[in-house]
Amino acid sequence: MSFFRRLGRQHLIALVVLLGLIVYPVINPWQPYPQAVLLAMFLLAIQASSWNIISGYAGYISLGHSMFLGLGSYTAAIIALHTGVNPLWVAPLGGVTAVVVAVLAGSVVLRTRGHAFVIITIALLLSAQIVATNWDSLTNGSDGITLDLPFWSSDFQNIPFYYAFLLLLVLTVLFSAWIARTKFGTGLIAIREDEGKAASIGVNTTIFKILAYAASSFFIGVAGGVYAYYQTFLNPVGAFAILGSVLIVLAALVGGRGTLYGPVIGAFIVSLVNEGATVYGGSSQSRVLIMGLILVLVVLFLPAGLLPTAETVWRRRHPVQVEFTDQAGALSHDTAVVRDRLPVKEPGPVLEVRGVSKRFGGLIAVDGADLTVERGSITALIGPNGSGKTTLFNLVTGALPVDAGTITFDGRRIERLRPWTRGHLGLGRTFQVTRLFKDMTVLQNVVAPQPDGKLRTMFADAVSGAEAARARDLLDVVGLGAFAQQKAGALSYGQQKLVELAQVLMLAPELVLLDEPAGGVNPSLLGRITDVIRELNRDGVTFLVVEHNIPLVLDLCDPVYVFARGKCIASGPPARIREDPLVLDAYLGDDWRADAHA
Amino acid sequence: MTQFVQALVLGVLIGGIYALMASGLTLIFGVLRIVNIAQGAFLILVATFTWWLWRTTGIDPILASAITAPLMFGVGYLLYRLVIRRISDRPASMSVLLTFGLALVIEGVLNVVAGNKFRSATPAYFEQSFRVGDILLPKAQVYGFLAAVVVLGGLYVVLTRTWAGRAIRATSQNPSAAALVGIGATATAALAFALGSASAGVGGAILSVLYPFFPASHYDWISRLLGIVVLGGMGSLPGALTGALVLGLAETLTATYGSLQWSTLVFYLVIMAVLLVRPQGLFGARLREDAA
Repeated sequence: MSFFRRLGRQHLIALVVLLGLIVYPVINPWQPYPQAVLLAMFLLAIQASSWNIISGYAGYISLGHSMFLGLGSYTAAIIALHTGVNPLWVAPLGGVTAVVVAVLAGSVVLRTRGHAFVIITIALLLSAQIVATNWDSLTNGSDGITLDLPFWSSDFQNIPFYYAFLLLLVLTVLFSAWIARTKFGTGLIAIREDEGKAASIGVNTTIFKILAYAASSFFIGVAGGVYAYYQTFLNPVGAFAILGSVLIVLAALVGGRGTLYGPVIGAFIVSLVNEGATVYGGSSQSRVLIMGLILVLVVLFLPAGLLPTAETVWRRRHPVQVEFTDQAGALSHDTAVVRDRLPVKEPGPVLEVRGVSKRFGGLIAVDGADLTVERGSITALIGPNGSGKTTLFNLVTGALPVDAGTITFDGRRIERLRPWTRGHLGLGRTFQVTRLFKDMTVLQNVVAPQPDGKLRTMFADAVSGAEAARARDLLDVVGLGAFAQQKAGALSYGQQKLVELAQVLMLAPELVLLDEPAGGVNPSLLGRITDVIRELNRDGVTFLVVEHNIPLVLDLCDPVYVFARGKCIASGPPARIREDPLVLDAYLGDDWRADAHA
Repeated sequence: MTQFVQALVLGVLIGGIYALMASGLTLIFGVLRIVNIAQGAFLILVATFTWWLWRTTGIDPILASAITAPLMFGVGYLLYRLVIRRISDRPASMSVLLTFGLALVIEGVLNVVAGNKFRSATPAYFEQSFRVGDILLPKAQVYGFLAAVVVLGGLYVVLTRTWAGRAIRATSQNPSAAALVGIGATATAALAFALGSASAGVGGAILSVLYPFFPASHYDWISRLLGIVVLGGMGSLPGALTGALVLGLAETLTATYGSLQWSTLVFYLVIMAVLLVRPQGLFGARLREDAA
């Protein structure tokens, strides 16, 4: 009984529905039509659930996802045609073809952010159709391929197909659920919410997106192989029809993209509507109109989808007390192990910036800047607004490419490395305006960073296990263990700054770049932030701090670098900086000096 | 040699027409940051309307753009005010889905109203050509190209010489700064969307003569236009012109020396190749705001 309670309400309902679908052909065996309708529902649910991995979790919309069904169909059918093997046995190879195509196309278009992906997905679908039509020797061209009828006795009707698709659906949902539980899944949601930030916490966004695209294609490809045999005939126009992609998008959207069961629920509904439109609505032409109208209406009025909307209503009706968990854990907490990766190193420079420049058109933001951060120090970087401090941070962390100069971290040139690689080396940063993933819980936010590029880390459990335990530990370090299950967006600004710090610590960083840690934070929390910085510094973490609160800087940091007009104009211990005429000049201008001397 | 020059000239003519069609897409993206998947459906909608106008009244299809362009300006304006604006504060993926839905609705309406069959406007000059030396210039292509150049020139003047045009360029470069200096974001966006739609008003009219079309042709067209825009760099007007010329040439050269069936595929391969070397497109810039 406790097993079922732990399973959760949604999973319980899903299990009951699954049992019902398993016994259905047994209790009602001589009804081919409802079986065919259910079969179409399963097929669409497999596709929508798979689509959800790239377009729901990672937020990269694919408008040509039915291509993978066609690829799977053609793979199985071509092998069957040329070798005589039953297409059912080679259906998994359809999945392999789908994955290969997804990886190839993905590695071209998913290297950058933005809109190239959605465009290429349509282009790929149309290209696949062109290839299938014109490569006569392989695909029989527009005549299509006819396959043998199923080998089993016709008494069984399509029941074997029914179970094959149901099995594939269960596997797809389990696969999707597993992904959502891993750090890989957390990373995908991080990419959806803020891709630049995700890269800064060690998420190799390129690899993550390509893998997500591949993962979203496999089961569709396998289903395609089975589907070819079910239909016993396929041609380019039918196999690569764009209407199939429309149904997938619609299904996931109606049910709720980004959720586990939403796409399945949506697929069942859309499939029934589609069947109804075919039976009562006449031609397939009017189906396009109906599906288009539903899509527009759903985007405008039900953008979250049915399942999340229903959940919101349910929550409102049945409010739950927020569980402030881990109180005991927080109280019994000793010093956290922030860095356990590298042995204590010799003192010396950890970061060296030499002659680094960056221009935006005519504006020179950073102009041959030099900067050295000694290991174990809390180094400050101050300067007037627009002097290039944040741009320098962006150059050091790799958010922007340098135009000239070198950056050496821990004895290694890093100015050409990708942001996540710098994160893996032990370089972490926070942002001037916090950039937490606001729709994720605080705990998920802290679990999300990838301290290294290993697959084992990527597919580690993010919900329980060592990674989650470490994240809770770090939340305790910043004093926010009690808020683990809250949505990050619900926290106060200062608390968000602390969560962002915990997030960076998850990288086990050697050097942390803090961009205005005190900006917009109330004085009581400010004390907590400086305490945490000092505590971590004693444990061996080096800090480079950009900050406008000069008293805080002079109290906390040593040495202090002063930036003006894109380069460093002074550096030294706080006492000397306080008196430096050049610094006063940069901050207050010539007028002040003239007045002072007058 | 003649064949090569012939292919080059045809490529440039087609490239100019592609440039017009893609300019609306890139203009809308530049200002609204919306990938208007319905742009292809706009073209087919206008082509169908132009075809009907030509059949019933005999108005020359390309000249009919004097009617279709203002009409599409109005359609675009209303569409923005009534539909697109509702999702202006939602994630970019929602706008893709919305305009995809609009494209389907237009396709569905055309299916129901006009029927699902191939059409092509065939005015008297449809199969005639100008002859320059050994080179044949199909009249339809030449007229279409001239119309495209005129409209693009007009667009350039509007964007650089008028207050409204400056507002559009300002908003596309920095929306928040534009808002701060008193440029109304909604009005500018509506104007950009309307102008983008109006360019489809001309493009669709030209299309009706040059290419046979049916309601579902819009998928083919939108992927071509998107390809051009991705190649040139999203939101860049010079990029769209260059991308259109490159792809127009690639397509004609493949059709001349390879086969017609594969020319569309070459189109996509060129795009993939460019993205491999330069992910942000030919003219796309990496902006400061991207890193923030």
